[in-house]
Parts: sequence; structure tokens; C-alpha cells
Amino acid sequence: MSFFEDPIKFLAGLLQDLLVSLNLHPIAITVINNIVGALIVSSVGLVIVIFLIWLERKLAARFQDRFGPNRAGPFGILQSFGDLSKLVLKEDVVPDAADKIPYNIAPILSIAAVVLVWAVVPFSVEWIGTDLNVGVLYIAAVGSFGILSVLMAGWASNNKYALLGAFRAVAQLISYEVPLIFALLIPVLLARSMGVNQIVGAQDIWYIFVVPVAFGIFFIASLAEIGRTPFDLLEAESEIVAGYHTEYSGMKFGMFMAGEFLHSLTLAVVTAALFLGGWRGPYVEQLPLLGPLYLFLKAGFVYFLIVWIRSSLPRIRIDHMLDITWKFLTPLSVVLLMAIALTDALLKEFGQINNTALYVGAMIAVNVVIALLALFAASRLNSRQRRQIKTFEPRPLAVPPKPAAPAAASTSEEASA
Amino acid sequence: MTEMAPAQEGTLEARFPGVVTHDERKGYEGYIVQLDKLTEVAQVLRDDLGYDFLSSVTAVDYLAQKEDEESYFEVVYHLYKSTGGSALVLAVQTPRDNPAVPSLTPLYPGAEFQEREAFDLYGIDFTDHPDMRRILMWEGFEGFPMRKDWKEPYFEEDVKPFANRWPGGQVYRIEDHNPVGKNNQYPQGFDPESWSPAIEDALYDSLRRSNAEYDEIEDLDTEQVIVNLGPQHPSTHGVFRMAVLMDGETIVALKPVMGYLHRNHEKIGERNTFLHNMPFTDRLDYITSLSNNFGYALAVEKLMGAKGVPTERAEYIRVIMAELTRISSHLWAIGFLLNDLGAFFTPSLYAIEERELLLDIFEATTGSRMMNNYFRFGGVARDFPEGVLERIGELVTERLPRKVDELDRYLTNNEIVRTRCEGIGVLSPDEAIEYSMAGPMLRASGVPYDVRRADPYSIYEQFDFDVAVRYHGDVYDRYLIRLDEIRQSIRIVQQAVERIPDGDFLTGKNPYQVRVPAGEAFGRVEGPKGEIGFYVVSNGKANPWRYHVRAPSFINLTALEKMCIGSKVADVVVVLGSVDIILGEVDR
Amino acid sequence: MQDNWLFIGIAVVIAAMLPMLPIAAARILSPHRPNRLKNETYECGMETVGDTWVQFKVQYYVYALVFLIFDVEMIFLFPWAVAYDNLPLLGVIAGLVFIFLLLDGLAYAWRKGALEWS
Repeated sequence: MSFFEDPIKFLAGLLQDLLVSLNLHPIAITVINNIVGALIVSSVGLVIVIFLIWLERKLAARFQDRFGPNRAGPFGILQSFGDLSKLVLKEDVVPDAADKIPYNIAPILSIAAVVLVWAVVPFSVEWIGTDLNVGVLYIAAVGSFGILSVLMAGWASNNKYALLGAFRAVAQLISYEVPLIFALLIPVLLARSMGVNQIVGAQDIWYIFVVPVAFGIFFIASLAEIGRTPFDLLEAESEIVAGYHTEYSGMKFGMFMAGEFLHSLTLAVVTAALFLGGWRGPYVEQLPLLGPLYLFLKAGFVYFLIVWIRSSLPRIRIDHMLDITWKFLTPLSVVLLMAIALTDALLKEFGQINNTALYVGAMIAVNVVIALLALFAASRLNSRQRRQIKTFEPRPLAVPPKPAAPAAASTSEEASA
Repeated sequence: MTEMAPAQEGTLEARFPGVVTHDERKGYEGYIVQLDKLTEVAQVLRDDLGYDFLSSVTAVDYLAQKEDEESYFEVVYHLYKSTGGSALVLAVQTPRDNPAVPSLTPLYPGAEFQEREAFDLYGIDFTDHPDMRRILMWEGFEGFPMRKDWKEPYFEEDVKPFANRWPGGQVYRIEDHNPVGKNNQYPQGFDPESWSPAIEDALYDSLRRSNAEYDEIEDLDTEQVIVNLGPQHPSTHGVFRMAVLMDGETIVALKPVMGYLHRNHEKIGERNTFLHNMPFTDRLDYITSLSNNFGYALAVEKLMGAKGVPTERAEYIRVIMAELTRISSHLWAIGFLLNDLGAFFTPSLYAIEERELLLDIFEATTGSRMMNNYFRFGGVARDFPEGVLERIGELVTERLPRKVDELDRYLTNNEIVRTRCEGIGVLSPDEAIEYSMAGPMLRASGVPYDVRRADPYSIYEQFDFDVAVRYHGDVYDRYLIRLDEIRQSIRIVQQAVERIPDGDFLTGKNPYQVRVPAGEAFGRVEGPKGEIGFYVVSNGKANPWRYHVRAPSFINLTALEKMCIGSKVADVVVVLGSVDIILGEVDR
Repeated sequence: MQDNWLFIGIAVVIAAMLPMLPIAAARILSPHRPNRLKNETYECGMETVGDTWVQFKVQYYVYALVFLIFDVEMIFLFPWAVAYDNLPLLGVIAGLVFIFLLLDGLAYAWRKGALEWS
């Protein structure tokens, strides 16, 4: 096995040989192997994030007709390193009124919760931190730790903006978790597995083309989960300053910021894995090195969408935001799940489960019908609910009175002046 | 109080014999009302005679200059009909010791902040005012700075030019003779080191007081929280502060707090000569310098009479510049409203890009992008340089209409913009008039009142344009109004560029010093933010005796609480954005 | 299988260590000069009035309750979705009825006005 065929396996083999040659206990070997694996998997995201911040700033700048960072290094690519060193050197101001323990744990948790997701992300055919058989459930569970960090930060800061931000965050994150998980259930159902790599393996046709509505729900709900525009209420700059991390400075603030970008990247990667066929692509079986490339290309596409939306849309107000999830996305996702399950079961019952064309056709038909129905219902609901905005009576244009009919006071002024 | 004018025409004097008298001072043309009958007269004016729009309230300190003169404060009111026409000027006089005037706030809520300002700067007590606190100076400030006998810490002389600068030229600055520490005066018992801002209490009390009306039926025992939005806040458009009482995320009471940028513009203006003040008006609303110039020029030209009549070409130049200013200000307002809505700078950058082109024109013509200092009494400072007029023509026929349509296309029907703006911060037409709202705020509430049409000045009567008006009175309509007005301004500029005649750009020479006869004048123009007015009193000397700015940004804030109560924190920011304030003008 | 969870356990430790490292580095490298004014609670430059930790009116607690119901029920759906292949049609339908009840609950909450922002 050469390095170029499968570098990871090659290196893993080298490590294994090294450890065995050291005559270590088998358990120790396993532990060391795992530590190395976990280190690699956990840092991949963080390393990418450093460049991602630069990329996002560059992209946003282009959307806004400006250059973006272009001073530090070629194309400003070293900008993030500059930011990083600045954050390291900044004084960390902890308000006296803060509750110190949760205050200090929150930024750590915000990163840790996201880093953990990477443990089950399949990078290539066999490159995966660990192929949990309950991978999807794990993603959902670990991801919710982020909510905890937001709440801790907001509460512990003892600051009103932070508290408001935290309350908003909790309402938002838990509300969008419902459609998110229902949308997650659909690939699980189609692939008959909760293992992420199995789901990727089952996507002979990318699920985005089988269940586009599920992809849409998942994407919108992820936007809310990562608190990106138009769902960036938890740190709505124009309203509550910086939301839950108002009181953080220096590297602790940096952790929240990095956590947000990392979270976006992670959800883009998860979306790519669950709906866009993950590492799948031409020749990946022969050359596993292509796997991560495909995965990150697809994730990059999703991320691009996120940045595009961020630079285009204003922010939704909190009550509208909750309406969208509870009155639209949640019912839609539940109905979609039922319809998909029923269609699948019926096709199986009639023995057509392996007829790919029919299967995909039926699924798309179900999706389209449900999407149309949902949009119709939503627009009905919307027009009914649209606030009764009062129209005031038109008045005549204000013009000076005609000289023929003089206003009592003004003419007398002129007469006596 | 003799009954000079006979009651022949059914005038105000006839209706209130002995109470209302015509102002006989030279150059004055208002009415003087007896102090204790003011409310009564105002009631009649508002209800029977149709003077429902109280544009400006201010005070003048007539401190005796000679032995035999009498000293008194005068409070001056400028009233208009919301159906159009010129002003009715009322004045009441009150002694300088314990000055007190009945408050007109119950009749005209728009007087609230202006009366507070007069109290703050002159110490005139307005009886029955619901919330008599300082407004621009901080609570606890000693003295009333606009009084003629009040002297600032670095006082040199009453008026400029200071003797050491001109004509002598032995320049020294009073600061050098009078270092900090020796110079400051503190009230008795005041120690700046141990001082803490406990004076905020007055504000918070006022906040809780205005909450009393809000019914408080709650099934859960929750507490209301006071939060300060500002002064150091990303979206208060400067150092502006709103103290907010919240129940959950719902606003229960809100008090705007201003004055962080206060520099006593008017006092400085009274030290300046008339011409000195022209560049000084640039600093009011620094987005719309040329409109400010316009208003001030009008006021002084009224006093100057025949000498101050601008040439035909100058009028056209003025109109072109004022309308371009309106376009640039509205572009700015629209862009930043979207920022307040939470958009990530993209819309505002698109809007500002167009504004830059207009600033280029300003720079080419006036020499400065923002602080233009361009108008002169009787004309403007210089003519358009070569090619600029063509460039303006190009902009208003080609680029700007296209770009306005682009903004319209991207923003107007955006679902989020609509849900967040429609039905938010509603003001009914009657409320808008009561609160002395002006400009886009008034017209978005369905009152087609535009000074350019209602009380025409300059040469606006010669142009064909429509007064934009919308009928919902919400944030969305205020946004649409601004788009409409940009389009109308483009129309005006198109016509003006076509018709502009050749000729001089200034009547007479450009003097260092103008002679302004004694009298009072109120010059008002339709600025981008609303009616910007300058009340100037001259005593025939080189400096204005009184220089007052009717600042639309400031007065439009009077209704902020009214518009915000019951809405969410997120809406407050949007409503504020829709008012479109510039702190340089609010705080003065 | 145990290997998997061993990996996760190690990952938890590493994930917690990763953000601690830069924070620790910053602690060493950055200045630390607190004073009373600097450490005040930030409220746009004003002194904060009253206590922050009060009985705040959380308008969304009802949402949290609804969420809880959904969250618990969703856990049951995962095994159902995985074991899907082995279920007869009737089993699928039983699952669908279960989901339908969930939807019914949402409709009930909606009708009751629990989903209205007050």
C-alpha cells in the first residue's frame, strides 16, 4: 500500500507498526491510536475555520462591491492570523458581577460541542473518526450542547443584553431543533441506518434529488441553529449589541466567534454528508484522497449559500421567527416524514422498492405536492394573519391660501407691517 | 397694552381685545399675547382658526443693553396651518426673575421637547409641563447657558471677532491664560472626584411614571426591567440614548435621552457674526449641509430685504444643490434603515455608492464633500465649475433613476422587510400634526404637507413635482416616502438643469461682513429630514442677537415614545431608523 | 462497538482541551489590569439599573414545553426509522399513527394559542 493510494491508512499502519514494535499493551495501543485519531479529526475543522473566516470576509466583501481584506499576505489570506494574534494579546475583561464558573465554561463548551460532531463525519470511504451506528442521533445530541453554552454565557454575564440574547437563543434553538431532527429522520429512513457513513453509502442518488423539501427544511433549520442571518437574533448587533457574548473579550470572545464559524462549517459538512452524497464522487473508490475534496467542495457550496443569504437578507423578528418554525416548518416536516414513510412502505409492499426510476419519481412527486400544499397553506395563513393595517384618509395638498380668501391673521400682519 | 390696531378684519386682536396685540417693534411682525391667557388663545387658534401645527417654540433673552431698557424673556411660537400658508408668530413675555410660562404641551404635544429645551437653556419654567427636566444639558448642570449673562468657562468676549484676533492680530487663546482647574467653577459642595451619576434618577422616575398608564395585568409575577439602549450602542446612529422599560421584550415606556453631542450651537451662533454662521450650519445635520445653508440664508435674507434677494441663477443653483442633498440624505436613510433591520451592510453600501457620486459633485462645486459652506446672502459662494452641470444632468437622467429602481426592486417587496416594517411605529395624521412631525414622517402619515408647496420659497413654484404622500403612517411608508421623494427630487433637478439661466451667482459682492437690519425672521425650508427652520433676531449689529434652529431630527423624536410603546426591542431600533435622526442636529 | 465509544470519550477530552489551549495562551500573553470601572457591567456606557437576574417575563416558556413533548417523542422515532425494513406495512402505519398524534398535539397547542407570542 503506497502513501498516495490512501495516505491516512498508510500513516495509521506506520503508527500501528511503531506502537507494536514498542511492545505496548494492546489496550494502550488502542488508546493511543484513538487519541491520535481524535486529535486529527477534531483539529481539521478548527484549521479550516481559520481560512474560512478569511473566505467569508472576502465573499461578503464581493457581495457588497468592495475588496475585503487584502493587506496581510497575498489576497489578505493572513488576515485571520492577524486577528488571532490580536485576540491572544487582548486583555480578558471579566465583569465583577459575572458568575465566574459558568462564565468561563461557556466559551469552552461552545467550541467543544461543535468539535465533537466531527468525530462521526465521514471524510472518505473509510476515513471517519468513528463509525457510530447512531451517528445521526449523536449529531443531534451533541449539537444541542451549544444551546447550553449560549444560555450559560448569557446568564453568567449578568448583563441585560446578554440575558435577552440568551433567552432569544434558547427559544430559537430549541424551536428549530424540532424540524431539524424531523428532517434528519428522512435520510435515516431512506438509508435505513443512523450511521452517517452508511447514509452516505446509501446515496446512489443524492438525497437532495430524492427529498428536496427535506433538504430545504434542514437547511433553513440549520441556519437558525447556527444563528446566521436571517436568524441571527441571538446576537442581533443592531438591537442587543452583541447578544449573549456582549461581556466577553479577548480569546474568550474569540472562542465564541470561532465556534460560530465552526458551527456553520460543521452543519455545512453534515448537510453535504446527509443530502449531497458526502464524499461520493467519481473515482473516489480508487483514490480515497478525493473523498475529502468532494466533501468539502459540497460543504463549500452549502457554506456559500449561507454567506450569500447573510449578505442579502435583513433579520427576522423573534415572533415571526417562532411562527416560521412552529406553524410552518414543524408541521411541514412531520407531514413530509409521514408521506415519505408511507410512500416507501407502499412501494415496498408492491415490490417496486428496487425500481429506482419509479422510486425517485414517486418521492419527488410526493415532495412537490407537499411543498405546493404547504406554500399554499402558508400564503393563506399569511394573508389572513397579515395585520390589519389602517389606511388613513387622504387630505388635500397643503398650499398657501388663495389671496382672494385671505386668512385672517396672516394678511393683517402684512397690512400693519 | 393699548389697542393699537382697530378690530376691523375680524383678526386675532379683535377676538382677544387687550390680550393679543400686534408686535410693534421694528422688524417684528407677530403678536404679543398676555402671559396668563396664552393657553386660551392657543386653544382658539388650534380649534377654530386652524393653526394646528406648532412648528417652533423657542425663547429669546432680551437683556437690557441700556439703563432705561427693560429686561425680559420672550417665548416665541411659530404656528402654521396643516393646510398650508405662512406663519403666525406669537410671543409671550415673562420677567427674567422666576420666569414662568404656561406650557402648550397639553394642546400641542410637539412642544414637549422644545419647551424642555427652553427650560434647559433659559431656565424658563413651563407650568403644567408633564415632564419638566433638562434635555440637552445634564441633570445637575448649574446655570442656564443661553442666557445672555451666562458665561462659559473659557469666556473671552460677548461677540466675535475677538479683539485679540482682529483687527489687532495679537492672537492668544484664553485657555492658555486660564488653565483647567483654575478656570472651572463648581456649585457649592460639589466635588468632581466623588461625583457619581445618581442624577439619573430623574430620568428613571419619569420612565416609571409614564408607565402608570400601561395596564399591568399579569398572571405570572414578573418584573419589568429598565435597559439603556445607548449612548454606546451600535444602532442609535450616534451617541443617542433611549432608556427603556421592558416587560419581557415588549416596550412599556421609553424616554429618549440626548445631549451627548451638545455644544450649545446656538450660543456659539450668537457669538458669531452672521456670515460666520453659514459654515456653522453645516455642522448641524452633517448629511444635509446644503439644506441647512438654505434655511439660514433664507432667514437672514428676509431680514436684509432688497439687498438679500438672490439672483435668478443663484436660485437655480440653490434648488439643484438642495435637491441633490435630499437625494443623498434619503439614500443614506434607506441604506441604514436596512442596517437597523439587521441586514449586513449590503443595502447601505449599495445606497452609499450612489451618494458618493453626489458628494463628488458637491466637492467639485463647493470644495468640500460634506461641510459645504456654500450659500451666501443673496446667492451662493461660487458658480458650478465647468462640466459639473453636465455631470449632474447625466446623473439625474441616467444613473440615479436606474439605481433608485434597483433599490426599489431589491428591497420594497422583500418579505422580511415588509413583515418587519408594516404596521410598526404607526402615527395617525392627527397625531403626526399634534407632535409637530415634519418632512417624511408627516407625509408618511397621510398629511401632504411639504414646505416647498405649503409655503413656497425660492423658485419651487416654477417646478413641476408631486408631494409624495402615503397613508399608513408606519415604518414601511416612511421608507417608501423616501424612495418617492428621491424620484421627485430627480424630476426637479432635471427641470432645473434644463432651464438654468446664465448670469451672476451672487447679488452684489461677496462681503466679509453683512449689514442686517434689526428685526426677527424665521426662514424654513423642506429639508430631507423635515422642516428645518432658523429663527434669527437681529438688533442691527454685526452678530445675531438670537440664532435658533428648529431642528427636525430633534422635534421628530418627540413622538418616539408614542411610536414605540407596545412594540418589541427589535422594533424600537427600526422605528428610530425610520425617523432618520442625525445627532449633530438633535443635540446641537 | 466499545472502540467507538472509547473514541468518543477521548474526543470529548480533546474537544474540551482544544479551546482551553488558546484561552490559556491568552492568559499568559495578554495584559491583566482590571479596575472597577473596566469591570463594570456593560450597558451602553451607563450604569446598569436594578438587578439583571429578576423574574424576567419569558414569553417563550410555552414553546419550551411544546418542544419538550416533541423532543421526547422524536427519540422513539429513530429506532422506528432504522428498523423500517423489518416492519410490515401495518407496523409502518402504526408508526404513522404515532406521528399523527404528535401532529394533533401541535394542532391543539396552536388552537389553544400556545404558539402565539404574547
